[in-house]
Amino acid sequence: MKRTTRRKFAGFLFVLPGMMAYLVWTIYPILNGFYMSLFKWNLNPKIPNDFIGLENYIELFQDSQFYVALVNTIKYAIITVPFQMVLGLLVALLLNKGMKGQTLFRLLFYLPVITSWVVVSVLFQYLFATRGGIVNFILKDVFHLIKTDIKWLAQTSTAMIPIYVLGIWKGIGWTMLIFLAGLQSIPKQLYEAARIDGANSWKLFTKVTAPLLRPTFVFQLVMLTIGGFNVFLSVFIMTGGGPRNSTHVLNTYMFKEAFEYFHFGYGAAIAVVFFLMVFTISQLQRRFLKREPY
Amino acid sequence: MKKLLLVVLVILIAGMALAVEEITFWHSYSTNSGEYNLLTEKIIPEFEKSFPEIKVKETQVNYDDMRQRLIVGTAAGALGDVIRMDIIWVPQFADIEMLVPVDVVFAEEFAEIEDSFLPGPLSTCEWNGHYYGLPLDTNTQVLLWNKKLFEEVGLSEGPKTMEEFVEFAKLLTKDKDGDGQIDQWGYADSGLGPWNSIPWIYSFGGYILDQTNQKAEGFVNSEGSIQALQTFKDLRDAGCIADTIVGGGGIGTFEGYAEDIYAMILAGPWAWPIIKGQYPDAEINAVIFPAGAGGSRSVVGGENIVITETSEHKEASWEFVKYMTSYEVQKAFVEVSQMPVLNSLVEDKAIIEHPYFQVFMQQLKTAVARSPHPGWNQINDIMDQAWQDVIVADYDVKESLDYAAEQIEEVIAEYE
Repeated sequence: MKRTTRRKFAGFLFVLPGMMAYLVWTIYPILNGFYMSLFKWNLNPKIPNDFIGLENYIELFQDSQFYVALVNTIKYAIITVPFQMVLGLLVALLLNKGMKGQTLFRLLFYLPVITSWVVVSVLFQYLFATRGGIVNFILKDVFHLIKTDIKWLAQTSTAMIPIYVLGIWKGIGWTMLIFLAGLQSIPKQLYEAARIDGANSWKLFTKVTAPLLRPTFVFQLVMLTIGGFNVFLSVFIMTGGGPRNSTHVLNTYMFKEAFEYFHFGYGAAIAVVFFLMVFTISQLQRRFLKREPY
Repeated sequence: MKKLLLVVLVILIAGMALAVEEITFWHSYSTNSGEYNLLTEKIIPEFEKSFPEIKVKETQVNYDDMRQRLIVGTAAGALGDVIRMDIIWVPQFADIEMLVPVDVVFAEEFAEIEDSFLPGPLSTCEWNGHYYGLPLDTNTQVLLWNKKLFEEVGLSEGPKTMEEFVEFAKLLTKDKDGDGQIDQWGYADSGLGPWNSIPWIYSFGGYILDQTNQKAEGFVNSEGSIQALQTFKDLRDAGCIADTIVGGGGIGTFEGYAEDIYAMILAGPWAWPIIKGQYPDAEINAVIFPAGAGGSRSVVGGENIVITETSEHKEASWEFVKYMTSYEVQKAFVEVSQMPVLNSLVEDKAIIEHPYFQVFMQQLKTAVARSPHPGWNQINDIMDQAWQDVIVADYDVKESLDYAAEQIEEVIAEYE
């Protein structure tokens, strides 16, 4: 073997384990999901599956419940992503000042991120309980902002709010950490130079910090959007899609169709549409935000 | 010589393996329960003693993980031989041909024991004219009433009729601290799905499906079904039913009952250990569900015991299934508070002397099984939605149920 070929071969060997895992656990399920979506898929492998072409997709696009889930998923991403980023940035700026006990605060803000979704979802159910929930208690008895208790999870108009709040609260720690890393990579000299030029703190932020954090922003935007579209456990546990199926998101709806109703082909069709959507949006985000800032 | 030895050894091992058949039994008895101890320390060892050629390996799967495990096991063709399965899953797994129709495969023996089972639980094994397992344990829900709250308004007994129930519920709903908001409710339940609504629907003389489980139109929207939902809605509008029915969160029905917040709740036999565990001093009083035009009806819950099609030891599994549903084993399980499925145990001393089984056994005589249908999960959600439409969003009762009938007919058509 020639030396170059051998080196290429070695490189290939190094990539192989990761590549295999990616092919087996990511690419194959996606392709298989697409294949399944063309059938009236039966869970029992011994029963032959009926090929029905695009029927699952035709039904899907006429399914009003699918659109409810789709809109809820998009709304969840649109609402939670900016809040997580803005609040995470604020916390990061505060904790980057070198004040006392900041390691403790960093830890406290990061704790929700590593806490189990199941635990905090159940916790939020209690916080947002109509009677005896602490949120209503604060709004009604402490601040007198409302006259009667709000039925947070028991009415369609407010049931998504606790889910948004949970998503934002749980995500701030992560955005904070990434922003902190971004902030610490900005060279101190730039601030010094700007100050000598007479910049105030607002100018420092808009002219130095913000532009240099741009790659961090882009990274977060893409990651959080994908994460937002993947919302599942909080909805599954807090509302189960109710009341009146008003809080279903794509993942809960897909889960219900496939695992509760045994409509595996239909569930796969939802997954395929979902995949194409997330893929397109991330590609668009990458394309439009790729430009280097300086 | 060496070769010969090897051959002899192989034959010996193969012979031993053939002599002892091992079957696996999947169940979800929690490992710290009396049922689990009884099963592993007494029931299985005794079975193995009487059938030395069969070995039973029990595998515990948490109830919440069981369905997932069954789905994965089905797809992979690797399921336990015998499974203790929630009654409402049986038709769904029967429909995809994963369960052995015991009335066909073991026809003679099945015919012999068929009549020994309570009809309600037995009906949950049936799909498409065949029986895909035997009932293993059963339960139902009855009405708990809070004596302290009842006495406060001068009542001394739980309601017997629907009229009484409505009257009591109104008397027992109060704004105690005078802030303009109700803080004591006449009735509370944990949801609006059929598990919660069947007692209402059937006690009012209504239905979800017909006897054959093939028709919804004219049944789910029958006069009785409409009246049940209308009465429930009127009570809810009068403030007598707590938010727990629509997922308001907060204080659960058991806790609220023990803490004198809910005067009446619907509860199964598991309520006793849960309430007593948290509130050892709580007094629990139960009556059968208040009777309406359809009598006092409640909903059947429980588990069936099934044999999987993937099993390579169907005969041995059947022996174990028969054993688990035998008089002795069923009676032994009563001692650890599992309700039996045999007619012969209804009047048994073990039941009569049990602290709270009697009211359940009485209720079981008229309890209704959720329709055994592979599309039940969908029917369940359609019913839940219809009730929520009325209770949460003020939809017209008849219109909602008409729409439910239409949707359920579509589900039934899917399985024809």
